[in-house]
Amino acid sequence: MERKETLSLLCVLVCVWTQATYTQGSTKVPEDFTPEPIVLPHFTSCRSREQETFRCWWSTGSLANLSEPGALAVFFHQNNLMPIGWQECPDYTATVENECYFNKSFTHIWTSYCVQLRATSQNITYDEYCFTVENIVHPDPPVGLNWTLLNVSRSGINFDILVRWAPPPSADVQTGWMSLKYEVHYRVRNASHWDKLEQESGSQQSIYGLQTDKEYEVRIRCKMSAFDNFGDFSESVFVQVAPIPTKVSVFPMALLLVFGVVGMLFLLVLIIFSQQQRLMVILLPPVPAPKIKGIDPELLKKGKMDQLNSLLSSQHMYNHDTYREDPWVEFIQLDLDDACEKNENSDTQRLLGLTRPGLKGDDDSGRASCYDPDFLPDTEGLLAAHSEMEERHPLVSESSPSTPSPELAETPFFPVQSQPVSQSWINMDFYAQVSDVTPAGAVVLSPGQQNDTPSKNPVDKTKKEEEEAGKEEEHEKKMKLQLLVVDPDRGYSHEVIARQVESSGAPFCSAPEIAYHTLPPEPAEEPHGWHGEYLAPDGEAQMAYFLPEAPPASMLPPVSDYTVVQEVDDQRSLLLNPSARQSPACPPNPIKHLPSMPAVPVGYLTPELLENLSP
Amino acid sequence: MKNTKVLQGCLGLLFCSIHGLLGSALDCPDRDAGGTRCSISVEKLLDRAIQHAELIYRVSEEARTLFEQMFIPFSFHAQQSHGGHLCTSNIFPIPTSKSEVQQISDKWLLHSVLILIQFWIDPLVELQASLDRYDNAPSDLLNKTKWMSTKLMNLEQGVLVLIRKMLEEGSLELHNNESVTPYLLPTDMVEHVLRDYAMLSCFKKDAHKMETFLKFLKCRQTNRPSCSIL
Repeated sequence: MERKETLSLLCVLVCVWTQATYTQGSTKVPEDFTPEPIVLPHFTSCRSREQETFRCWWSTGSLANLSEPGALAVFFHQNNLMPIGWQECPDYTATVENECYFNKSFTHIWTSYCVQLRATSQNITYDEYCFTVENIVHPDPPVGLNWTLLNVSRSGINFDILVRWAPPPSADVQTGWMSLKYEVHYRVRNASHWDKLEQESGSQQSIYGLQTDKEYEVRIRCKMSAFDNFGDFSESVFVQVAPIPTKVSVFPMALLLVFGVVGMLFLLVLIIFSQQQRLMVILLPPVPAPKIKGIDPELLKKGKMDQLNSLLSSQHMYNHDTYREDPWVEFIQLDLDDACEKNENSDTQRLLGLTRPGLKGDDDSGRASCYDPDFLPDTEGLLAAHSEMEERHPLVSESSPSTPSPELAETPFFPVQSQPVSQSWINMDFYAQVSDVTPAGAVVLSPGQQNDTPSKNPVDKTKKEEEEAGKEEEHEKKMKLQLLVVDPDRGYSHEVIARQVESSGAPFCSAPEIAYHTLPPEPAEEPHGWHGEYLAPDGEAQMAYFLPEAPPASMLPPVSDYTVVQEVDDQRSLLLNPSARQSPACPPNPIKHLPSMPAVPVGYLTPELLENLSP
Repeated sequence: MKNTKVLQGCLGLLFCSIHGLLGSALDCPDRDAGGTRCSISVEKLLDRAIQHAELIYRVSEEARTLFEQMFIPFSFHAQQSHGGHLCTSNIFPIPTSKSEVQQISDKWLLHSVLILIQFWIDPLVELQASLDRYDNAPSDLLNKTKWMSTKLMNLEQGVLVLIRKMLEEGSLELHNNESVTPYLLPTDMVEHVLRDYAMLSCFKKDAHKMETFLKFLKCRQTNRPSCSIL
């Protein structure tokens, strides 16, 4: 119950209040609540054009009974020193509806006005509006807008204009009653956006950067300075400047440029074609071919050795002695025995004959004088026994132990050019066991007694780390080869021979203190030309390295077959140390204590080996 | 704002020019006999005074706008524009329409200008002090206020010289012992902000008056028919 009462009370209160507000308000709203909004009479605006007069407009609103003329009245009041009170509008404009015009006498600046819209019949004020006259001043638009062309750019694309105008005639700027500011707008015709220029208080302004191919629209408006009310816009003025054809100046430049480029290209092509050869030389210099001074490479190609020899001999690079008839003979020859000297010729012949592949008879013929001829057949047999062996190893010379003269080791160091010597020594087994040393200083070799490795085939091992572990005996016959260790200038061959001798057989694991002694080089007078320049055979690569297999450790050391060359006495005889027996319990890898020697092609020593061997 | 820069440039130029002008103008009357430098014409003097007044008027407008944007809520701003300010100096009747101005004599115009100037010198100083007390008053506003008070004093000097020259009178002093501030503002405006805003608006109005009167004076010098009805 209480709720109902309060609710009804609230309703009543609301009704009363709304009614009260309505009565206080401008209009009397009928009780029936119409859905459309009620618009009361109100002032729409008051404006002054020149700050001397002003007008006010109002609207009657949506009330029907008030739309009659005379139903509403405008009263104004100004806050002067002498407040008069509310006065009615001095002049209701006859021609314009709902307009009140205040003439000069009623217009006072620097005073605030208030106008009221009242109903004539009732004491209701519908609207009130207070202002000061200078705040409602909207000046008339400027007049006399025109433009003049200032200049056109060189390219003929842009131009500048000067816009002039005059102040509105209604505004009294001469006396200073109104000080105006102008604002110029311009745009491309029918564009949507206007460009504005800075406000100017003068009567002209320049517009820069217009384009000749477009039409522009310019208009202006003004306002009182220090106030914000702009007047209406003036009439638009259209600006268009025809583009000046300036292509004439551009055309010759372009033409000149094209001609210049074409001419340059033509010239360039001409140069290239005329100087083609020279240009090729400059740009792509020929690669210099390798040249040996003084030697025609053609000779080398064709293999004309005689000419080459003559050439070389004519040079002072090589010693004449080297290429005498018997250079090798001289190297080898030692002045040890006179007995061998008479055999020089024969030796020479032997040496020369050794160049031939079939050396069986020739090689030994020279040596026959120095050595036991009995060995000849043996040697031959030995040689024959070796399979595929045709030539003797140059370092291995057959000698009899009886011959004291260590005259010449049949170590024909063949000149390289003469023959591919390597072919002859492919399969030769030059490892031999030194059985004895002659007092003459010659080392007597005997075929090693390797029971376990009776392989007759040469081992084509090309392992460079492996030492030539032993010799490979293919035959059971005990052959004794005497290795004449001759003494070239540097004892070169001695080392090799000694090495090879030493490397044969099982007892490689002998005590490391077994040193290799090289025979002191006994420089022979004659063989001084050979400086150890050992020309590698051409067919070195083709050779199969003759590496005898390492004998197993279990092999019993041969008795008195292998000895170690300890030293050489004054008589240039190798002193072997028979006591230095190799123990059977040697490490199976006897190679290591030997200086590493690359797989030497049978019979040849390269200078690298020399370096390795030299102590 | 370019307006500001232009204004400042003009201010600088004008200040220097009017300072020199006023200095020389002040010295001139004592040495009319011999000094050749004192032959500054009334027109030039009046021109400079007008420029000065214009500048003061523009700066006052800018200061008022600045203050309004910073401190005045929009609702009150609307009310102000409608209701106007009760800050018209009611010391003496001032012509409020063009016709009235046209009817007023030169003497009266000059005197009015002088009175207005002298009226506002002290309130401006007070306004400046009041603005300095604000927490977030923009420096631009403070500078403008300071500038206005300075220039106003310069303008006073110039107008005094003009009076001396044009009217050939002695110096004129306002005998106004009343305190202006209470008169200036309605008593119910107790808030500092509203008071300062009202003061700025009123000053702008009075600066406009000064400019208008001086321009009228100038117009009359040219003897154009539209300047004076008489």
